Amino acid sequence: MTSSTLMSRPAETHDPELGVADTLLSLLRTTTSEPRPDEQLEALTLAVAADLPVLLWGEPGIGKTAALTQLADSLDLPLTTVIASVHEPSDFSGLPIVGDDPAVQGVPMAPPQWAVQLVRAGRGLLFLDELSTATPAVQAALLRVVLERRVGALRLPPGVRIVAAANPRASAADGWELSPPLANRFVHLYWTHDPQVVVRGLGGVWPRAELPRLQAQRLPEAVALARRAVCGFLKARPTLIHRLPSSEARRGGAWPSPRSWEAALTLLAFGTAASVSRDVLALLVRGAVGDGAGLELLAHLDRMDLPDPETLLADPAAADLPQRGDLRQATLEAVVAAVGARPRRERWEAAWTVLAGALETGTPDLLVAPATALAALRRDDWEVPETVERLTGVIGLARQAERSVGRATGKSATRRTSEAGR
Amino acid sequence: MSPPAPPRPVRATPPGPPRAREFGARPPLRLDTRKLLAARLHAVKVRPYLADALFALHVVEDPSVPTMAVDAHWRCYVSPAFVARMPVEQLAGVWVHEVSHLLRDHHGRGERYARQHEEHGPGQRLRRNIAADFEINDDIYGDGLPRPHGAVLPSLLRLPSGLLMEDYLRTASMSPLAADLAWLDCGSGADGQARPWELGPDGAHGLTRQQRDAVRFRVAQGIKGRPGNAPDGWRRWADEAFHPPQPWRQLLGAAVRSAVGAPGPGDNHSYRRPSRRSASVPGVLLPSLRRTPPRVCVVIDTSGSVSDGELGSALLEVAAVTRAVGGRRDLVTVISCDAAARTAAPLCQAENIELLGGGGTDLRSGFTRALRARHRPDVIVALTDGQTPWPSAQPPCRTVVGLFPRPTGIDTDDPDYVPDLPPPWARVVTIG
Repeated sequence: MTSSTLMSRPAETHDPELGVADTLLSLLRTTTSEPRPDEQLEALTLAVAADLPVLLWGEPGIGKTAALTQLADSLDLPLTTVIASVHEPSDFSGLPIVGDDPAVQGVPMAPPQWAVQLVRAGRGLLFLDELSTATPAVQAALLRVVLERRVGALRLPPGVRIVAAANPRASAADGWELSPPLANRFVHLYWTHDPQVVVRGLGGVWPRAELPRLQAQRLPEAVALARRAVCGFLKARPTLIHRLPSSEARRGGAWPSPRSWEAALTLLAFGTAASVSRDVLALLVRGAVGDGAGLELLAHLDRMDLPDPETLLADPAAADLPQRGDLRQATLEAVVAAVGARPRRERWEAAWTVLAGALETGTPDLLVAPATALAALRRDDWEVPETVERLTGVIGLARQAERSVGRATGKSATRRTSEAGR
Repeated sequence: MSPPAPPRPVRATPPGPPRAREFGARPPLRLDTRKLLAARLHAVKVRPYLADALFALHVVEDPSVPTMAVDAHWRCYVSPAFVARMPVEQLAGVWVHEVSHLLRDHHGRGERYARQHEEHGPGQRLRRNIAADFEINDDIYGDGLPRPHGAVLPSLLRLPSGLLMEDYLRTASMSPLAADLAWLDCGSGADGQARPWELGPDGAHGLTRQQRDAVRFRVAQGIKGRPGNAPDGWRRWADEAFHPPQPWRQLLGAAVRSAVGAPGPGDNHSYRRPSRRSASVPGVLLPSLRRTPPRVCVVIDTSGSVSDGELGSALLEVAAVTRAVGGRRDLVTVISCDAAARTAAPLCQAENIELLGGGGTDLRSGFTRALRARHRPDVIVALTDGQTPWPSAQPPCRTVVGLFPRPTGIDTDDPDYVPDLPPPWARVVTIG
């Protein structure tokens, strides 16, 4: 992070003191690295790969720049850091230069050197640091760079990816915040540090993250899944398509709109194609459309992972139910609901087989609600299948709980009166 | 990931409530799964909104656990002896208690508290566990869920109920209880410190952070979707689970700062004088940095229900923020206003501003007065309880409203009562 060009130059110095200092410095800088999963960095990599503007929120000195350096290394992109707070608006919108005859030629807006170099290279990672300590005019000029990719008269080539960083509102001295339309264009990632990583790193071992790679053979599947997930979800929750943040506490963050849903869809596809974990997907989706809508979409994804009730009913003996209790119960309830939607005797019996199978692979208390609902679906001319026999234990368990609730409601009444007396 | 477990004596039998000792000499008990699950069914029956969370817990049998404990990965460790000696209905209460630790994120909050206050070690762990139990136990029992034996309550220390874990930790020393409750242990799910019996993040059947969030989110949505079913404590939790309220000082500060710092007043670039950098680049026109200090006018509602202490701290906050962004003190004006605007004093003369008033409220006169001043303010900050008519049109400057929430239950019986909501053009920060 710190570059001390003077000190680290190999010792051609004639001063023996400095030579010793150089040795000490090079000893201090000899560190090793160890592989360690890093969700923040994975999320950042995917968002940068997806060419969406990323805004890193993090306290000063937390290692945002170090992360960007690692990212640039691994993507093999040259990193250009521009510290916004030491620049003037014209450094980003172009410096007006008075020529020989402005009335004829106009006043050209000259781009700064870093932009010219980026355009010449054709690719690179542009890191706009300290966005929140720049003056409003600089911020306004910078946002044009981020959103329209224009610096003065130049247009940044598509190979250039842009990341910005800002300090959170609470710690920023002049408390800059994004207006909702601007916030909506960024993927917001919150950068935090892990105390153990820092301590271990200062001890000489820094983490090295395995960055996600897109797998070419998964691309069509990833696009199909992302489209199915987002469209299916928004069909069910149309009110979430566009919802401006209402409360003061949520200003400046991500919020759902058609634009940010498109970003979420892109990120989902990238995440799927790179097979990243759900935790990374969660960071990205919540960073694009906000916590509430993002969590709902993730819950929808979880439900998409559940086995299809019709498949289970078609081959009940081979039913493979999820291990987790709440998901398992949701699956069983979906099976019962599917039978209720199209009640046929064979489907009803198949559902009982699914329930009996669930009893063998999981806890019986999950079956009480689905079994009761399924029993209520019986038509008069349907005979009770033999599989139901295997579920008698479940009924006993339900009764035991029933008795306990009865005792408790009786007791709690007396208990409350005794407490009131105290 | 997690810090090393605190040293803790390995006991074959949990001391627990006194009857536990008789199990000491016997061969280890088998877990009565049936009883445990019947208790979970009981809990689901009387607290249907917690069903998802209760069913997401994975049961691990372990005789070395004192009673029942949870870890941060939603595993529930159960001592067979404990299940054997508890009646089913009390076990149901324990289920809800343990899942409440996880839903309310006591491990994350406990860890954060420990880091902020540098409180590590077994004694501090116990303190956090007791405080977390206080937060839970004062509002989850009743209505078909009897309180289990040995549940600790804030009243043991003569503390008020209904506070958060952090409040109990800050206000009370738990030492009078520590000796009696040394057996109390709800696992790392309650305080964030790993225990020897726990399977850790890589063990089987753990939930990842995203899965944990998803379960908590579903439960919170369920509670919000069926208002009236869940008690107040749970509804408050559901509202704040994913959007913890921010301290009003920060919000008010940010609102005033962004109003003051927006283009117009404040530090900004202008071409009024050429930049000194221009000399070195002939032919290039550069702006220079100029400062226009912002004028802030604070309109204070003095109509009654707001306490002087609250008003004073809010006013000081506004003044401090304005100073921080470069405003001079003489540029902050204060108008106190009830049915009519009373005084307008620059802040520098007004260390002891006398706030006059006490009648009905009409803030419109305060706004008019503020805008009629010789130098029009860049920002108006109104501090009020909101029971006032508002200007019908947007004033020609930014407006921040610091809203003191009115105590509830005043006009709720009146069907014709319509609260005067602050207008949409104002940025509203709820104070206190």
